[in-house]
Amino acid sequence: MKDYIRVCDVEKYYGNASNVTKAIDRVSFTVAQGEFVGVMGASGSGKTTLLNILSTIDRVTAGHIWYGDTDIAEMRENDLAEFRKENLGFVFQDYNLLDTLTIEENIILAMTLHGAPKRKIQERCREMLMLLGIEDIRDKFPYQVSGGQKQRCACARALVNGPRLILADEPTGALDSRSAQTLLETFTDMNRKMQATILMVTHDAFSASYCSRILFLKDGRIFHELVRGSRNRRDFLNEILDVLALTGGEASDVR
Amino acid sequence: MLGKLAFRNVRRSARDYLVYFLTMTFVTALMFAFNSLIFTRDIEEMFEVAGLMMALVGMATFFIVLIVAWLINYMVRFMLEKRSREFGIYLLIGMRKKEIARLYKRENILLGACAFLLGMALGVLLQQVLLSILYSMIQMRYDLHMEFNRNCILMTAGCYGGCYLLALLRCGRRFKKMNIRDLMEAQKKNEEVRESHEQWKKWFFPLSVAFLGLFAVFIFTGGIKNGGHVVFFLVGIVLVIYFFYIGLSSWLVCYVRRRGNAVYRGQNLFLLRQFSSKLKTMSFTMGTLTALFTIAFMGCTVAMMFSDYQNRILETKFPFDVQINSEDVADDFADELKVIGESAKILDAYPYHIYAMLPADTQGNAAGIPAENQVNVWLSTHLKVFGEMYLNEDGSPDLKKIAKDSRDGSFYCSYDTYMKLSDYNHLRGMLGYPKVSLGDHEYLIHLKERIRGEAEGLKDAVTIRGNEGNLEFAGYYSEPFSQDGHNGGDYVIVVPDSQGSKLTPYYSEMAVDIEGEAPLGLGNKLDDLGEPEFWERGEAAEEEEEDTDLAGHRQMSGNSCCGSDTIVVMTVANMVRDNLIPETKYMLSSLIFPCFYVGLVFLCVALTVLSVQQLSDSAKYRFRYSVLKKLGMNRQEIGRVILQQLVCYYLCPVLLAAVIGGSVSVFMSGKFIFYTGIRTAVMYYFGLSFLLFFGIYVLYFITTYVGFRRNVEGD
Repeated sequence: MKDYIRVCDVEKYYGNASNVTKAIDRVSFTVAQGEFVGVMGASGSGKTTLLNILSTIDRVTAGHIWYGDTDIAEMRENDLAEFRKENLGFVFQDYNLLDTLTIEENIILAMTLHGAPKRKIQERCREMLMLLGIEDIRDKFPYQVSGGQKQRCACARALVNGPRLILADEPTGALDSRSAQTLLETFTDMNRKMQATILMVTHDAFSASYCSRILFLKDGRIFHELVRGSRNRRDFLNEILDVLALTGGEASDVR
Repeated sequence: MLGKLAFRNVRRSARDYLVYFLTMTFVTALMFAFNSLIFTRDIEEMFEVAGLMMALVGMATFFIVLIVAWLINYMVRFMLEKRSREFGIYLLIGMRKKEIARLYKRENILLGACAFLLGMALGVLLQQVLLSILYSMIQMRYDLHMEFNRNCILMTAGCYGGCYLLALLRCGRRFKKMNIRDLMEAQKKNEEVRESHEQWKKWFFPLSVAFLGLFAVFIFTGGIKNGGHVVFFLVGIVLVIYFFYIGLSSWLVCYVRRRGNAVYRGQNLFLLRQFSSKLKTMSFTMGTLTALFTIAFMGCTVAMMFSDYQNRILETKFPFDVQINSEDVADDFADELKVIGESAKILDAYPYHIYAMLPADTQGNAAGIPAENQVNVWLSTHLKVFGEMYLNEDGSPDLKKIAKDSRDGSFYCSYDTYMKLSDYNHLRGMLGYPKVSLGDHEYLIHLKERIRGEAEGLKDAVTIRGNEGNLEFAGYYSEPFSQDGHNGGDYVIVVPDSQGSKLTPYYSEMAVDIEGEAPLGLGNKLDDLGEPEFWERGEAAEEEEEDTDLAGHRQMSGNSCCGSDTIVVMTVANMVRDNLIPETKYMLSSLIFPCFYVGLVFLCVALTVLSVQQLSDSAKYRFRYSVLKKLGMNRQEIGRVILQQLVCYYLCPVLLAAVIGGSVSVFMSGKFIFYTGIRTAVMYYFGLSFLLFFGIYVLYFITTYVGFRRNVEGD
């Protein structure tokens, strides 16, 4: 598989000269097209910073991030907004749906900002609603539906423009175990059926076990990497737990 | 400890609600400055009409106290809601509700006190500005000086305190009902968009627009004729103001649901939904704001009208330095001349008569209109001012009514008024107009500029008899000529001296030209001349009381008339220009100032509510805009969306108010122009107040926009 996203020697420092915090410390990895990558780590390990950098919301202190041939570390702010619009989809722990818009309208808005024509928007929207099984609640407002449904709406919105990469930040964080499971299966489906490339940040081993590869982050560095290969999910989960146990990960993360 | 906490909280509130704080400061300043108009001693001593200013400013203050109390109450409730989490924490750590209520009240009073003190400082400056304007209006010199009238300060403090008292009255009750969970959750609650019955509610929108259209048609075609209509439209307008927003919001919701084409363009969907949900939750407040804006518009328009009047028309009302009327045709004005001579150097004093065509011809003209009264009848039945007041049902003149009203001294005298050419030319000379000459068989009519256009047909309708046969019409003249009862009411017919055999002296007049300005109080001295003998006759003294106007001037009696002027009428027997103009201006000012006062305060209150609403919601908006950012909008685009959103939100109540206030204002200006004869486009006054309005509006808008962007883009 061709390297799709390349992260080269990325560093991100916070603070001033007397008090520097290295949130990300010379991190390099690649993501291939159609991969479902997980990033795991304890609180403060730098996973959210890494995600923010990848999603162009934050900028690197040093290093390069290549999306294909484009280095986003070198881009200007306005180009970044355009890049974000064209290439990225987001799914967040707190859904980030607009509360004044209905479920369907949240998806439509993502497309109208893209400047898509009406007919295409309508078609694509219907497709996404069906695919994610939220057709019945299309006219409901976010506050009227469950967390799982909201998250599926967020997925639909992330997917609707066919982005290069979907970034998910603790997507199951606010869901009950059943909804979480459904959502993760949705992710797997998106990955398999639509060849969506997904990068998911989580500190939950169960969620991570759905990924095809996991990067373990500690104190801003990648200290381990696990590839699922042909193993089944249960074995993979055990292996993740082993890694966590070895490195003093949080035992409470295991459901 | 509580005191310290209160102090810190006030500092924070003042920052968060800067617009509110500044508005309260400004309102205090306005209150102080306008109240000082009531308590200015010089003016009180100078004019007998000072009471009028007091009454009108007092009335304005009453409404202002109510509306400011509403603002404070609104803000107190609003801040309470926004800070509910904080109060929850206080409860959680063991504070009692009473203590919290006391803390909150203390904070509010502290905030109010700060604004008050700052406002008083600003008020002293504003007072100087206001008094300078007033003094220059009434042509007096004003030397800047600080005037700390105790009563004025007390009144301002009283009004201000009253507002707070009214507003904080119910605050304690609200605290009693609270529980920790609700308080902690209150802020988390998202705006729940409840949509129900949108399909039928949307019809409020076209209905409101249609009603406004109907209102405009009625008001401009003069369709509002009786009290019933007025009540109908008043109730209708109030309903429209409130239901318009419910309708508009539902209309937008339905449009979005129907997926109209605009929904699919750029960020429209976001804007439409944002706007409609805001309108839905805020429809009542928006309605109230619209009402405030409307009143502000109308207040400013009225103020503009009268201020324009006093700048342009007043000078023409009193062309002579002094003019005295006497019903006694044998009056030689010796007493008056003596009084004037004592106070000023007389350059020219010219006593003359106004005549009537008497004894009257018995037969009258073809339509049965008596010849001695023909011009009065024609004007009564042809001027638009009178409408159908003096017409019988068949369209013929209602002579009885005209005769009766003439006897009562309204509009016109009992007989047409004449003047001899020699008198006329002498008076023209005094005023610096070129003299006119008439052929032996000619006459001219001097009338007010205001009715010049309407009176074109007069010359054909009347026949003026000379010694032998009828006289020929030689032209109209319409320079300012003191025609509010002195040189006739509205008009005077000028005939050659040689043709005056049938003219009988009707009443006496004297015009005086003096050197420099007339001293203060000359008019009063002249008025006093008539008094002593009246006092001796007890009964007549009461009559005399009735014969003085609001300002204590002696009014003309007997053969008097005042012409068809309305709105601002000045019919006094002894006219001293340099006394009357300042006094009239002061009287008009007592209408203008309170109108501006009400307009300004209402405007500021409404804009504050709009601004605070938006700014304090910006936390919620920050989240929404961060979502838009993640969806790929750049900084400029987000800035544009914010601008669009604010513009919609700010413009909506203003536009509705402009439509309602505009129609009423334009209608009022039309009438004002019609009745006063001022030459201006009907839109002029409304346009001016709209400009003034927008000046302040833009200030608030920019403050809000900058604050809003900072809140949204900040960390």
